[in-house]
Amino acid sequence: MTRNIALLIFITFLSAAALAQTAEDRARLISFETHTETLANGLKAIVIHMPGSGLVSYWSIVRTGSRDEFEPGHTGFAHFFEHMMFRGTEAFPAERYNQVVTEIGASRNAYTTDDLTAYYLSIAAEDLERVMELESDRFRNLAYSEADFRTEAGAVYGEYRKNVTNPLFVIYEAMMGRAFDVHTYGHTTMGYEEDIAAMPTMYEYSRAFFSRYYRPDNTILLIVGDITPAAAVELVREHYADWQPGYTPPRVPVEPEQAEERRFEVSYAGRSLPMLAVAYKLDAFDPQNDLRVAADLLTEMAFGSTSELYRKLVLDEQVVEFLAAEAGLNRDPGLLGIYSRIKDPARVDYVLETIDATTARFRESLPAEDDLDALKSRLRYGFLMGLETPDAVARGLARSVAVSGGLDDLEAVYAAYAEVTPEDVRRAAQRYFDPNRRTVGVLRAEP
Amino acid sequence: MRAAAALTLGTALLVACSEPSQAPAGTSALLPAPGDPTISFSLSFGAGSQDDPPGKQGLAYLTGEMLASASTENNGYEAILEKLYPIASSYQIRVDKETSTLTGRTHRDNTGAFLELLTDAFLRPAFAEDDFARIKNDTINYIENTLRYASDEELAKAALTQMVYAGTPYAHPIAGTVESLRSITLEDVAEFHARHYTGGNVVLGLAGGFDDPLRSAFELSLEGLPQGETVPDPAVRPATVEATEVLLIAKPGADASISLGFPIDVHRGERDFYALWIANSWLGEHRNLAGRLFQVIRDQRGLNYGDYSYIEAFPEGGQRTMPPVNVARRSQMFEIWIRTLPNEQALFALRAALLELERLVDGGMSREEFELRRAFLDKYALHFAETTSERLGYALDDRFYGIDAPGHLEQFRAMLAGITLEEVNAALKRHLRADKLKIAIVTGEAENLREALIGDTPSPLTYESPKTQPILDEDELIERHPLNIDAENITIVAVEDIFQR
Repeated sequence: MTRNIALLIFITFLSAAALAQTAEDRARLISFETHTETLANGLKAIVIHMPGSGLVSYWSIVRTGSRDEFEPGHTGFAHFFEHMMFRGTEAFPAERYNQVVTEIGASRNAYTTDDLTAYYLSIAAEDLERVMELESDRFRNLAYSEADFRTEAGAVYGEYRKNVTNPLFVIYEAMMGRAFDVHTYGHTTMGYEEDIAAMPTMYEYSRAFFSRYYRPDNTILLIVGDITPAAAVELVREHYADWQPGYTPPRVPVEPEQAEERRFEVSYAGRSLPMLAVAYKLDAFDPQNDLRVAADLLTEMAFGSTSELYRKLVLDEQVVEFLAAEAGLNRDPGLLGIYSRIKDPARVDYVLETIDATTARFRESLPAEDDLDALKSRLRYGFLMGLETPDAVARGLARSVAVSGGLDDLEAVYAAYAEVTPEDVRRAAQRYFDPNRRTVGVLRAEP
Repeated sequence: MRAAAALTLGTALLVACSEPSQAPAGTSALLPAPGDPTISFSLSFGAGSQDDPPGKQGLAYLTGEMLASASTENNGYEAILEKLYPIASSYQIRVDKETSTLTGRTHRDNTGAFLELLTDAFLRPAFAEDDFARIKNDTINYIENTLRYASDEELAKAALTQMVYAGTPYAHPIAGTVESLRSITLEDVAEFHARHYTGGNVVLGLAGGFDDPLRSAFELSLEGLPQGETVPDPAVRPATVEATEVLLIAKPGADASISLGFPIDVHRGERDFYALWIANSWLGEHRNLAGRLFQVIRDQRGLNYGDYSYIEAFPEGGQRTMPPVNVARRSQMFEIWIRTLPNEQALFALRAALLELERLVDGGMSREEFELRRAFLDKYALHFAETTSERLGYALDDRFYGIDAPGHLEQFRAMLAGITLEEVNAALKRHLRADKLKIAIVTGEAENLREALIGDTPSPLTYESPKTQPILDEDELIERHPLNIDAENITIVAVEDIFQR
């Protein structure tokens, strides 16, 4: 479960893609021959041809994550299901699946976030057909016993145990729970611990979960590398055309508007410097929403490594050990979160005051044009330097593909980022840095 | 590569005969890739934590950070960040046991600006007081809070390294210990820099779409380094393990995180290393679901998140899938990593890992397992160095180990076809064993675990669901697998005391 990392990588990548402004840059992206094919059953296949490496990165992206866990007592299921997907089918029991993947020397794994679950293999291009045979089979015909199901629940609990030793996870989990009243973003991708503990008893539910969400009309294949679109699409048709549609959308509750600031304290069962988290409500990602688009740039300008705040708190005064912020790129309204670890426990309030001064300044004043230009340049070069391997391209695109449903929004996003002005950034600050729509949390070690 | 210049006959005599030979000084690794719009830079200095003076553990680390994350004579650190920002570039340093490698990558549009900043970093560090205070404070916080309290798995690994290399300059954490860090002054840093960051102690690496003028400029910059005196490599001779020893790190409320291992005397470039690599890949390839340990402990029994084994250093295992570069070492250890699991299952998992290791060493790989693993590695190794900067990292590591072109990875793939099952199984017997181990366990149940270890108490599992008869039969063997650990070889240390001095 690598939610935060995946999110940060994505933001960097997509934002930069949007800012690749020159003709040459655009040509660089588009010069990778790109093709989207939608089968009659709703399965979308996106192929990006990057010749020369001999490698292919093969991603199966299910547009279901912890957001879809709307039924009480079933949090953590999307992630748990990611584990179950390695338990095999009748045609390829787990041992046989493992053997084939081993024979072809694939590097493979999977991860789950709030909005998606992704399964990926990095392979030699010559093994693509074999991989499609395997992957199309397990996405259609996954079969596992109740005993296997219960066994895997233990591994998932182990992952949770590993995570809770990290104070960042603890405050993040508390933040999500406090910031959302009813929306499913209120629990992390791991799920509530009591639900994880109860997972072994939910075998029947797991079958329903698979039947409901693991459908072609809720899945996107992202195939990047040394394969032509024509060849890849032919294989997709051959292996996936008879997968039956039937996606049932989750009944995700709509989060009511937040009307006043929320605060929480959470204790950490270990030793840690105090941590401060401040999270503002943010609109769902939409390239047509100019304020939401500008919020990505606002976040970086206000809290990035060359921001005034970073300079003051991290470098000059050395009050905080780290400062990081992200604008959540989500299907539904999410959070713009700022996280920091504070060296002196007595200075938590001071750090919050300083963050407040920063948000006030961005609400009231226009950012310097030069700073905005520097950010656009950074994102542009970051994008260009990220186009290095099929795996890097696929990893960078996976979240945008899941959130927007394909690559269609990419051109719109390009245009929108390039047009962001200092005034847009200020308007975004006025919209999102609203003290009544934020949650403030502090983590302290147990005495 | 550690101090190429140090490879005089006299120096060679200081190190164990089995240590790998190293490339001559002052050489460079150039990997041109004309179509690549980026350029990767690398400077590997033969100075690492093994060179920390007694009582100053962490000095190499702080020195490295004072180059990569601090001001230079020409720019304050804030100005450096501002200049790097629009070009989306950065430089960083990896300080390891033997080397400190400064790396950076930029787009070809920005090579001039980037090279100027990079050159300043290693030629003209400012050693400013405020940078030093920040970096030192952050490093102490890392030991006191993060390592001890926020990552039990990393803590167990660091404790295992300390046990295996006790009495050698590899033993302490690269970042140092709390008290040693407190004792380090800015003058210590300047002295370390002057002594080790010299022209005779560096290998240059350049890769990607660079041209001749850039190459010349980068090479020329090294002339600004002082020539310095040859600094001999300290000897690294871990003691022979005579009996299994256990260190229990008592951390209230913690589940169990286990690392175990022992030193091995085999290195990249040697045929035995590649034979052993095949067997280790079968036993515990990192983050691979088909590894034997993963199958037995996680997949069949669901005890934890993963279980892996290593024949080379693999730092940051929790954050990476493929092996790191720039961690070349003269001495390596065999290591098994059992990820966090409930305390009541710790003993079973430990026994399961040791039983699997014992079976592998005693019985060897089967023909079928061997052929499958060989096929796997032939392609899997392609993923180790997909990017230009990763390939450059391997090229620099080749310098360290004295491996000629086409280098370690290609050599391995070429050698795969020729290595026989018999060689693999013989290498297993020569280098691995399932007894006389060092074991580090972070646990919230140190006293109970100690008693169970001393009594060699059976450690049966209870399951949430029915298991197949073969697994239950196997469990009976595992839960009684003898550990043979003497009481006097079990030590408990409180988490707040480890890495204090």
